[in-house]
Parts: sequence; structure tokens; C-alpha cells
Amino acid sequence: MMSRFREIAAVFLVAAILYGMQRTTPLYSEITSLVPAYGEQGKRIDARAFAFAVVNVHLARMVRTESFGRTQDFTTSGVWVLIEGAAEAKRESLTLTTANWLGPSGISYALSQRFSILPGLLPNQRLEPGLPKPVLLAFEVPESEVSGATLLVPRNYMTPLDEEIRMPVTNIDTNAIHAAITLKRSTVGLPWILETE
Amino acid sequence: MQQRSTLRQRLIAILVTGVGATAAAAISFGVTVYEAAHPRAVPVVPAGEPIDTGRWNITFQAAHSGPVPPTGVEPSESKKFVLVEFDATNLSAATGFVSPTLFTVDPPVPNLPAPVFYLARDKWIASGLNPSMPERMIAVWEWPQALALPETLRLTVGSQIYKRRDNLYGASSWFDRDPIAVVELPVSRDGAR
Repeated sequence: MMSRFREIAAVFLVAAILYGMQRTTPLYSEITSLVPAYGEQGKRIDARAFAFAVVNVHLARMVRTESFGRTQDFTTSGVWVLIEGAAEAKRESLTLTTANWLGPSGISYALSQRFSILPGLLPNQRLEPGLPKPVLLAFEVPESEVSGATLLVPRNYMTPLDEEIRMPVTNIDTNAIHAAITLKRSTVGLPWILETE
Repeated sequence: MQQRSTLRQRLIAILVTGVGATAAAAISFGVTVYEAAHPRAVPVVPAGEPIDTGRWNITFQAAHSGPVPPTGVEPSESKKFVLVEFDATNLSAATGFVSPTLFTVDPPVPNLPAPVFYLARDKWIASGLNPSMPERMIAVWEWPQALALPETLRLTVGSQIYKRRDNLYGASSWFDRDPIAVVELPVSRDGAR
């Protein structure tokens, strides 16, 4: 009688252990996720393959681009977040093809590709080792996702277990949302000219 | 274990598991056959009514056909376009592209290329849509020259489910599922010349 009871108890114990293991197994995306490299806004943040720094963060309701005599208005239902920064490769030439704006609610917004022809945009800049280059990032986010966000810059999103820069966006004036920001091509200094209205 | 199980006990165990497995396979097969024979009716949704596909919430507005794509620039070589305007909201937690298989022309038109999605705001080819930021989109089919432009367009809208762990890698992803709605849109002709 006692051995019968012990057998049944063993079956239940094993079932409980298996259930626990099933529930606590990390997701595939977690096992192969990017390794975060934390940093502060305004300071150089180093990952193994590249370094990145944010200089300015601008907010606007509309972005106007002027390129080759053509003016285009890019409206949005949310807010444009334009980030001026610099990036540098460390060991080999590379291009940072993507970046994400992780809002306070945990929703991520990818780099906007709506005015992708403008020079200096992050995916358009080929980075060489030892030569810091200015980069421009544009995100389109709802107004509620502007403050308390984190900027994520991976090397690209196809390489698991690579490093990703994670920078909490602390210095951002959510009251100063410009009506429009104009981006123009420039031939000297920065590859773009940013004018606020 | 006080004693080794007898041959009789083992035979009964084999028999029970065998019968159980056969019954399970038979029931599963029977359900599949029954479902194939009695397909679930896909509801017809009128234009202007939102459809929740799982990953997207889409509302069809109108369809029209003509020689001009949404860019407003008529191609030098005359082409036929069928344009469907719809509102799309990304219900997932990350920026995503509208899949060309989100809705399909029903019945299938031979040699019809996949549609190109335009963002109405930019009158230009759309990139990824941000979560919970609804956008007006235009799906554009380049209609085969040999075929007449349709008077009405019947679209089958697919659905998607999110799996935290898929069956192959255990990765989290979206997967296509059965059609969830059918939409019939009258196609108005614009700028015929």
C-alpha cells in the first residue's frame, strides 16, 4: 500500500518538475539576444565593434527635407524624434543598419525610413575604424512614448549575441516640441543642416 | 517492485497503449476530414468596418483603378493599376511591414504580381508601420495588360497568431492563420482616357 502511494507521489513530483522546467525555460530570443552595453546620453558609449554618442535630441511635429531643390513635408500622427550623434567603427568598416526607440511602455519603434535619401542618416553612413562620423537618427513615436525611453543601437539585427548599445534618453525637453524641423544637405562640416521653426 | 511483471500484464499494457494511440490517431484524422468537408464560413465584412487580423487592425475604405499610381506620376509606359485604400494599425509591440499576403485577390488572378503598399501621407512606398500609430495605406496591384480591369474586387483577409515559442526553434514570432474575413469592394474607374 505504502509503495503504491510512493509511486503515485513520484509521478506527481516528476510532472511538477517537468512543468516547472517548461515554464522557466528561457525563450530562444532571450538565449540568442544581444548583449547590452549601457551608456549615458552625451557621453561616448563603447561596444566591442563600434562606439556611439548622442549629441542633440530634437522633437518636432513635422520634418521638412530640402534636397536637390525639392522640398518635402513629412507629417506624423505622433512626434518626430531627431537625434544628432556620432559613430565610429573600431576594428573593421561597418554600417549600423538599424536602431530602436524603446518606449516606456516596452513597445519598440524602429528607425524611420521615410526620408531615407538624406545624407548622414545612420544606415547611410559607412563607418571606418578610427574615423568618427556624424550620424542622424529619426524616429516617429506617439507623444506618450517620448519621455522615459531608451535608445537601442545594435550592430545589425541579424547577428545574435553581438553587442547592442542601450542608452536611456534622460536629457529631453518634452515641452519643446517644434512645429517643424528642416533638414538640408550640406557640403561643409556636417552632411546636414538642421533648422528648427 | 516486489516481483517482475508477468507476460500477461505486459501484453495488457501493450494492448492498452496500442488501442489508445490508434483511437487518438483515428479521432484526429476524422476531425481533420470533417473540418475539410465542412469549412468554416468566412464572414463577409462591408467596407468601412474594422477587421482584427491578430497582428493588424485593418479597415478597407475604397477601391479604384486607373493609369496613375499613388505617386501621381503616370509611368511613361502605360500601365493599369488597381488601388485599394485601407487604414492599418499595427497591434504588435514592434515596427512591422504590411505583408503582401495580408489580403489576397479572390479568386486568384493569374500572373498578378504582389501588391506594393504606399503610405497615403507620403504618396510613396511605405516602410514599416509603428505600433498603435494608425496609417492610411494604399495597396497597388499592377494589373496584367491582357486582362480587363475588374468591376468589383473580392479580397480574402488572412489572420496571424503570435507564438511565444514556435514548434521548430522555440522562437517568438507571428504566424499566418486561416482567412478571417472577405471584403467585396466596387472598383471605380478614375481618369480613363
